[in-house]
Amino acid sequence: MKIKGFLKDVTGASRVTKARLSAFEAASPVPDRTDPIADAAREWHPGRLDLVVTAVTPTGKTAKTLRLERADGKKLPIFYAGQYLVLDFALDGAVVSRPYSISSAPFEARLQEHPFAEITVRRPKSDGFIADFVNDCVKVGDAFTGLVGCGQFFYEPLRDAKQVVALAGGVGITPFAAMAKEIANGTLDMDLTILYGSVSSDDIVLKEALDAVSCERVRVVHVLSGDEPDWQGERGFLTAELIKKYSAPDTTYFICGPQAMYTFLREELKKLEVPARRVRFEVFGQAKDIAAFEGFPQEVKDKTFSITVRRGIREDVIPAKATESIVTALERAGIRIETGCRSGECGFCRTKVIAGSVFVCPENDGRRAADKDFGYVHACAAYPTSDLTIRIPIL
Amino acid sequence: MNFYKDHYDVIVIGGALAGLSAALMLADKGKDVLVLERHNLPGGLATSFVRGGVEIEATLHEMMSIGDKGNRLKIGQFFDDMGVDIDWLDVPEAYHASLPGIEVTLHPGFERFAKEIDTAVPGTFRKVLSLMRLCHTVYDSVNELSVHPMSKAKMLLKHEAFVKTAGYSAKEVIDSFGLPQKAVDLLSPYWIYVGNPLSTLPFTIFAVLMADYVGYGSKVPKKLSHEMSLKMAERAEAMGVQIEYRQHVEKILVKDGAACGVRTARGDEIHADYVICSAYPNKVYADMIEPADAVPERAFKVVNGRRIGLTAFTVFLLLDKPAEELGIKDFNVFHGETMDTDEIFRNYLGTGPYNYLTAICLNLANPGCTPEGTCILSITALPRVDGWKKVKAEDVDRVKHETAKSMADAMSEYYGVNLLDHALEVIIETPVTVAHYTGMFNGCIYGYMHDMQDHIVARLQTAEEEKIFSHLEFSGAHQISGNGMGPAVTNGRKAAKNVLDDMEKEAARA
Repeated sequence: MKIKGFLKDVTGASRVTKARLSAFEAASPVPDRTDPIADAAREWHPGRLDLVVTAVTPTGKTAKTLRLERADGKKLPIFYAGQYLVLDFALDGAVVSRPYSISSAPFEARLQEHPFAEITVRRPKSDGFIADFVNDCVKVGDAFTGLVGCGQFFYEPLRDAKQVVALAGGVGITPFAAMAKEIANGTLDMDLTILYGSVSSDDIVLKEALDAVSCERVRVVHVLSGDEPDWQGERGFLTAELIKKYSAPDTTYFICGPQAMYTFLREELKKLEVPARRVRFEVFGQAKDIAAFEGFPQEVKDKTFSITVRRGIREDVIPAKATESIVTALERAGIRIETGCRSGECGFCRTKVIAGSVFVCPENDGRRAADKDFGYVHACAAYPTSDLTIRIPIL
Repeated sequence: MNFYKDHYDVIVIGGALAGLSAALMLADKGKDVLVLERHNLPGGLATSFVRGGVEIEATLHEMMSIGDKGNRLKIGQFFDDMGVDIDWLDVPEAYHASLPGIEVTLHPGFERFAKEIDTAVPGTFRKVLSLMRLCHTVYDSVNELSVHPMSKAKMLLKHEAFVKTAGYSAKEVIDSFGLPQKAVDLLSPYWIYVGNPLSTLPFTIFAVLMADYVGYGSKVPKKLSHEMSLKMAERAEAMGVQIEYRQHVEKILVKDGAACGVRTARGDEIHADYVICSAYPNKVYADMIEPADAVPERAFKVVNGRRIGLTAFTVFLLLDKPAEELGIKDFNVFHGETMDTDEIFRNYLGTGPYNYLTAICLNLANPGCTPEGTCILSITALPRVDGWKKVKAEDVDRVKHETAKSMADAMSEYYGVNLLDHALEVIIETPVTVAHYTGMFNGCIYGYMHDMQDHIVARLQTAEEEKIFSHLEFSGAHQISGNGMGPAVTNGRKAAKNVLDDMEKEAARA
């Protein structure tokens, strides 16, 4: 065979070998460390940061807003309005993490002077171990570590309608407060109507902040479900009828609030025949009562099991209640595990179950198909129903 | 109590396909292996993510070199040998070429492929078939020579086609067949799988691509590439490999010119006889070797003498209708405003709009991969890192949306349906995303350019020139076989083989 001539053909390999060696010879001996793409990635996702509380402000009668700045004073990561941050609480030798929607706007995290992020934490009616701690104990100057800018609950212009109706309940207003401020700042191009359901006017959080940013593109409609004789505004629940009243023909709905509201709103939106692509729920949150879910084995409800926890070549054995997630059991025992959403979505707490059985909260099963086949769970959404052996990353 | 043993035979940095392949092969030979992966999943880019309750393939377009059960190609055979049992599905076609004046669907199998080109460009059948056969001959030689090296004289006798085409670019060899431009255009789309224009792409690489994809077709794992990655990881663990996720290696410890361990971001110092590293040599020599002054100048000349390859930009669209209702008929469409690969390569220097797109609808090979009544379309461009290096962090979001919109619009026009009107989810992957998840140098996924100055034949001949530290091997797209998931496995195996050979040599010396 012949391509260009025998001699040229048969010397090809030598030619390319010489070319490569000459390229090495001609190259600079100075290391080139420039990697602006990694630098940009760090501006978005720097990993855990040292944060300091710089202000604590009550909002409504039941909640407080914490302002957080970086300990080194630098800008916080770039994130989308609607995303959350994870805060780590060191309590009695254990580290417990919680996700909170960021209630301040992304532009505020990138200010030249004192860039910050805020979260608003409501004292719950019952069993709010961490929420109580935040409301009672956290003060200016306290230091935390945290991961800022997580989650999928944000406006995506290529996907969502420009007209957005937010359906908020209680402290579920926080991501919308961030969106509202960002819109008012001119850095988020969408029109937002917030239907904000509260029991009473005392329960409304971030009212002043929302009032301050109301404009042509941001409208806040308070809806009270409690009996408040002087109330001039909308009353009742966020019903299909009410939602329709404030909707444009093509509207995307963002929903954030308590779990009972999700169940209610799914039905209401069904009545309005809203297409699936126009409805976006924030994650469900840790199940309040896992034993109430269909399929949960009632016979183990009151049991405590033991979990053998493998990290590297090390093994620890810890107790675990059937009605508490594996993450909770680990945190109680002082074993660190990375968590993000605590709703089974983000997969940060991906854990291998080597032996034993678990119940996975059906609302929060965000696992990959192959992971299911090999016994992986997202430990925030998995509950022991026997003694277990698990494997988690070393932190 | 410690998390690690005092000592391992081999530490593998990076639990992606190359690292896992190396670990499997070493474990198979009874070696004690630790794999350290920065993410909390195996596979690197061979992974998936879940949005809106739907698992979405992150990167795998099609896997080469698998073959059928009982008639495996080299990667398929390796998986079989290692006991990694993946549920493969056939990709139904080679590709649909959508180019100016050309709409042609081509299928695997040399004769069928050549006939289909002949239908579009009559009178080309014999020439195309003989070009394909040449590709296959070269491919066979590459496979044999990578396992059994031989002298140049013997090579010329036994592997004449390989030797005689080695010095030429794909364009030079294709031109020697005298095909009409339209036929050449139909033969060109796969260039993007290696990302170097045909004028400077070694024919050897083109031949391997064409022979493998066109000759044998390709496959995808039923449960997405996470199935492949996870099964490799699970099998490795079953063979005794320790895999630790979320461990970011910061330093490679070197003593007397030999790697002897690593230090992680957590602060663990772990010792081993050998280290296999998936980080780019650029990054390793500049920042990771400890002590830093152990790195000779030659190391920087070797990395600076090579050119960084392509990165990725993908728009994932989860759509609210089945593919057929949206007019999506082909698994894989190469949609180009031109098929001049030099022109595309120049366009890829920027941040978009891109003039050459690859649109994959995985449902057409893997019907159950999304819920009933939906389908997934991923639209990819594989730009060079240059343009993206200039985008400030603050501008990434704006630029990525402009580019993504242009890509969705281009494919909408092609399919005759506004894809965004059907989008349940829109996810945009940029080079920054790649850098975030994999830590790859400048977000580059293609390793070094496969060009005539960095020819695979020369890479094989001059591997020793690149060796800076003993007991340190590299695995990943930046190694001999280059980018792609099949080559990643090959690169990992090569790294493991080098370690095993070296162990044997040292044992013999002792």
